[in-house]
Amino acid sequence: MEGLGNHAMMDSTELKVSELLKEVHLYHSSHFSSIVDNTVSAIKSCIDEIPVDFKVTADVAPKFVRDIGADKVDFMFKKPSLIEIGGSYSIQSLVRPELNVDLIIRLPKGCFHEKDYLNYRYHAKRCLYLCLIKKYLEASPSIGKVEWSTFLNEARKPLLLVYPAAKVAEVPGVFVRIIPSATSLFSLSKLNMKRNNIHNLNHGTTLQATPKYNSSILEDMFLEDTAFVNKTFLGWKEIREALILLKVWARQRSSVYVHDCLNGFLISVVLAYLASKQQISNSMKAIEIVRITLNFIATSESWSRGLYFPKTGLNSITKEEKIQLKESFPVIICHPSGGFNLAFRMSRNGLNQLQDEAALTLKCMEKCRAGGFEEVFMTKIDYAVKYDYCIRLNLKGKKEVYVSGFCLDDECWRLYEEKVHGILAKALNDRAKSIQVTWRNTQCQWSVNDLNSQLQGLSVLDKEPLFIGISVSTLEKAFRIVDIGPNAESKDEGLEFRKFWGEKAELRRFKDGRIAESTVWESEQWSRHLVLKRIVEHVIGRHLSLSMENIIGAVDQLDFSLLHGAGDPVSYSGNLLGAFDLLSKRLRLIEDLPLKVSSVQPLDSAFRFTSVFPPEPHLLANEKFESLRLNKYVPSCVQPLEVMIQLEGSGNWPMDEIAIEKTKSSFLIQIGESLQKTWGVTCTATENDVDVLMAGYAFRLKILHERGLNLLNKEAGNDQAKRVHSTDKKLFIHSQHASMINGLQSRHPIYGTVVRLAKRWVSSHLFSACLLEEAVELLVAYVFLNPFPLGVPCSRINGFLRFLRLLSQYDWTYSPLIVDINNDLSPSDEKEINDNFLLRRKGQEENGKSTEAGMFLATVYDKASESWTGVSPSVLELKRLVAYAKSSANLLTKLTFQEEIGPYRWECLFRTPLNNYDAIILLHKDKLPYPQRLLFPSEADNGKLIARGHASKSFQPFLLPKDLKGKPAALKNKLLIDFDPSRFFVRDLEASTKEFSNTFKVWHDSLGGDVIGLTWVESYSSKKRKQETDVNQAHNPPKVLKAVGQVGKGFVRSICFLKPPKLTN
Amino acid sequence: MKLKSKTEKCAMEKKRKRKLEKIVDVETDSTLNAEVDNGMQVGKEKKEKSSINRKRKNKDKNRRKGEVDLEENSDGIVHDHPSEAQEIKDTEEHGDADTGAAIKSRKKKSKKKRKKEASFVNEVENPPKKGGDPDQDQIYVISSGDEDFSKGMRKWITEYHQSRPGLNILQEQIDEFITAHEEKLEQERIEREERAAEGGWTVVVHHKGRKKTTDAESGVAVGSVAQAAVENKMAKKKNKEVKGDFYRFQKKEAQRNEIMMLQSKFEDDKKRLQQLRAARKFRPY
Repeated sequence: MEGLGNHAMMDSTELKVSELLKEVHLYHSSHFSSIVDNTVSAIKSCIDEIPVDFKVTADVAPKFVRDIGADKVDFMFKKPSLIEIGGSYSIQSLVRPELNVDLIIRLPKGCFHEKDYLNYRYHAKRCLYLCLIKKYLEASPSIGKVEWSTFLNEARKPLLLVYPAAKVAEVPGVFVRIIPSATSLFSLSKLNMKRNNIHNLNHGTTLQATPKYNSSILEDMFLEDTAFVNKTFLGWKEIREALILLKVWARQRSSVYVHDCLNGFLISVVLAYLASKQQISNSMKAIEIVRITLNFIATSESWSRGLYFPKTGLNSITKEEKIQLKESFPVIICHPSGGFNLAFRMSRNGLNQLQDEAALTLKCMEKCRAGGFEEVFMTKIDYAVKYDYCIRLNLKGKKEVYVSGFCLDDECWRLYEEKVHGILAKALNDRAKSIQVTWRNTQCQWSVNDLNSQLQGLSVLDKEPLFIGISVSTLEKAFRIVDIGPNAESKDEGLEFRKFWGEKAELRRFKDGRIAESTVWESEQWSRHLVLKRIVEHVIGRHLSLSMENIIGAVDQLDFSLLHGAGDPVSYSGNLLGAFDLLSKRLRLIEDLPLKVSSVQPLDSAFRFTSVFPPEPHLLANEKFESLRLNKYVPSCVQPLEVMIQLEGSGNWPMDEIAIEKTKSSFLIQIGESLQKTWGVTCTATENDVDVLMAGYAFRLKILHERGLNLLNKEAGNDQAKRVHSTDKKLFIHSQHASMINGLQSRHPIYGTVVRLAKRWVSSHLFSACLLEEAVELLVAYVFLNPFPLGVPCSRINGFLRFLRLLSQYDWTYSPLIVDINNDLSPSDEKEINDNFLLRRKGQEENGKSTEAGMFLATVYDKASESWTGVSPSVLELKRLVAYAKSSANLLTKLTFQEEIGPYRWECLFRTPLNNYDAIILLHKDKLPYPQRLLFPSEADNGKLIARGHASKSFQPFLLPKDLKGKPAALKNKLLIDFDPSRFFVRDLEASTKEFSNTFKVWHDSLGGDVIGLTWVESYSSKKRKQETDVNQAHNPPKVLKAVGQVGKGFVRSICFLKPPKLTN
Repeated sequence: MKLKSKTEKCAMEKKRKRKLEKIVDVETDSTLNAEVDNGMQVGKEKKEKSSINRKRKNKDKNRRKGEVDLEENSDGIVHDHPSEAQEIKDTEEHGDADTGAAIKSRKKKSKKKRKKEASFVNEVENPPKKGGDPDQDQIYVISSGDEDFSKGMRKWITEYHQSRPGLNILQEQIDEFITAHEEKLEQERIEREERAAEGGWTVVVHHKGRKKTTDAESGVAVGSVAQAAVENKMAKKKNKEVKGDFYRFQKKEAQRNEIMMLQSKFEDDKKRLQQLRAARKFRPY
């Protein structure tokens, strides 16, 4: 039975794979072939026009020739000895969206001298040859445009991109790449890895070998020699499909698909290698080949030896050659015909990245739903989402980069990458799991010989910033504030340490008695995420002499949204937990109560570090306080923090719910009185809530009565649709949620901060009513629990970005989101959840309503998504949320890579555009309960002003100095607990929906925004349409808005009217 | 019984009303103290004013009434017509002038205030061009609502204070409720039994009421069963039931069901694939 299930699942993966192939694979239709053929023949005829024996000199691209340092470059033009289509087109494995046809042009022997492999002469001539071709191509009418590009980001090897003039809808953006080859131009033995071929490079007396330079030429010599790859792919459909899938896989991963790691050709080489080793066979399906290949990449031992194709007859590689290759390159994939390393660009770090990524993908395939199809092939993994810390270095105009020449053995930019990597690896030590340094400098529109760059040559290639991505090993290590260096006794090491760290190094005596060199990055607990940034800035600034404004890290740009003044209120959490401990101790000590308190559990999000604004201790909420006159601002409002109490079991409880609630209140009042008597704390109560003011905080006590839970279960059986939870059930779910989230927070300390950012984002875009705080906590929890295809986020910005991506990309319509915090869910539980989900969707399809809940969040304690997402967000609200999340995620991604334009770029993430509402209500800022939480004061700059309101005098958010005189008891009465005008306003608006006959929807910010948005509800039922007069009255917007203003008397500053409702009749 | 409780309630309500009035009184005082500043004044000025206010408050209570009236005037609803606004402005000035005459010591103050109010009216009449180009006729002024308990900030503050009458009162209310509730339940039970008895039948009822779970003297729990224990027992019971696949046909049926389910799942998958295809979910770029 299980086998069958597995089979069905496999089938669905295969179906998906075949769909994916249909999307990306370009079938060579006759139409497409004819376009390619036409373009190629056009290119050929252009080249034919070039007069033979035309003298080419360095004047065609003087700066290029100068910058790469070539001498003797003049030659007589001869026709290419061969023009042929190669690359992926020839093996029918083009992958959308990058459709390029490689056209190989074999450079004729007549243009080169025997010794042109020396001193970049080959590179220069190659480039000049292309310049000439370009000139003639541009004159041709059947060719649209010709652009320069580079061969795998190697600036010394430019190539031409030729766009056909005819545009075809079937294959948008197809172009031909003209790549020169150098087949049998030079003697192979002269390009041996041990030889130096750049003679004007003087490093001491002995000439250093130039393996990279030699390989760069060898690559062109072997460019046409791809028969060993092609023969594998022609006539074997599955392996071609596997190649396409692997290309898709790699392209989704920016960290792997770069110049120092993988490219399409290398993937095909690896596949050919595996086929030659008989590790993959004809009977396998494409997805199996993919899996085997990834497994080989991730785990094979052969990477350390190098990949050598099996010997075929004459071509054999001697041991000596192997040793030479090993000494010259970190990664070796040897060309079957001899001593050339196909992977000569691949760095050690690149291989590590590749192996990590492959291993992670295998894990995805094993663990994720449906074989991880989504995660493996469909999820874009760019740097911003991959790395915890993204840093850019602006190196524009920095001469140090190429001070000793642009092109040595390697190019100066690659050497600079290496240098930066080395410095960071040393500085960060075990803080970083991996560091990637990439300078995609030739991505920008670059041309070898047009006017602008003729003036500058290769020095223009520093326009793009250099990118640094850092993955953190563990949070503890990354947040460490002391790095201990060598002991004081070891002088040499100490000296080196000092040299590296500069003034930051200091000699310290540690607790265990040893004296050692060390660096200390003193910072407060809440700002520990900045330690890593400070280290990077310090060492980069010190060793590369870059100024601070050229080191741009996406680390702390969003902190502004969480701070109060200069500090993060989360630093009060210690205080709060202390106060809670005291409270629970006191509660347990209560003697004069019929039932003893058996357990005390915190419910509020402030206790689990996920509250955006954990309350600061309030002066008036203490048992005793000193004179307050010195304190300027004493807030008049206090946030209550819910705490759940359980009492000893007893049979004396009443049986029905109302009576139970009353009894609970009575108990709580007695508890309050007892606390008041014994400890002198203040207690105040309403009919429903009992608040205790203690140690600077207001605690709101709640009693959980276990029998209340059973009461519900009986009723629930009767009516599924109208299930209303009893107070106890709600309380129980709250407590379950609180303890689970608390557990998660202790496992991932950064979780809390990410939740805070996410909550802040949700509410600042006025979604407070749509997405409850608990739902946000669960969504972020999902990011931490199901991080695939990435690692667990280790920085706030990375976590926040991934929250936004989850919200915008998850398939809410067709899948439930299951948050399984402690791995409690069994397969049968999951089935139950799925069934619940399908049931709900079915019901919705029948109703056809878009007002029903659109998000299905299932947890252990709630398998039917009722507690937080039962009502909201509705399908429409979710749509809006997703759109907002998408644009925010895009902006955030952009900001990590680009210069921010204008000062408000980062802030835009939290500043909601007010023109997205039909009407907006602006509130009096100084009547908000916590005015300091307002991020941006809102002003309406468009729309029609409908009404203005005066501020009420009956409420001030701060107690004025004159209010602070008087006796403590009287003062405490001035304290307002849980007083939130904006909440009351929204409540009153919604309560009076009858008056407004459901004409609008309210969007608000519960964290302290000064604006409320209204949108007209468009569709109304046919019943209402009958009472047309009624409708017309209700849809008189100015009138409605005036009435709205009346509801918020004293609080509303102004009301602006933007768009009239759409009348559907 | 019921009557009695009603009268009690009435009394309670009266009490509450009285209290409410007190609160209101206190609040009007405080609003007077707070002065008519729209949050524009600097702290120093405020201090001065409030001290002056306090003095004034002690001096004359009648005048306070006048002040309240005035405020009502100034905060009154200014409707769509500018002429009306003008009128109100006039009356305001009258009122101000009157009070101004009465309180010589506060002449300066009231002048200032008048200025401000006048300027505000001006502002309303010639609103800044910021918000598009609003028609001046249409701007509607919402009063601060400080005299109105039915809506807005004033209502919320009042509600807040009313909802916290003190622990003792709350406790009393709860006690009252519980006794009334218990009586109601008892009444219902008696009625039910009576109804049954009338028909000549004696209904045998399972007495749901309190079971004796704690020993009256020692307070030790007796006979109450732990929740977990019951569930455990229930679970055990379930296991003893005959398994579904006792008969061969049951087994076959189960198998068939399972296959059907898998088939339907497969169909669902296919459907979903189609949906995904329609949504271009397979395009990785």
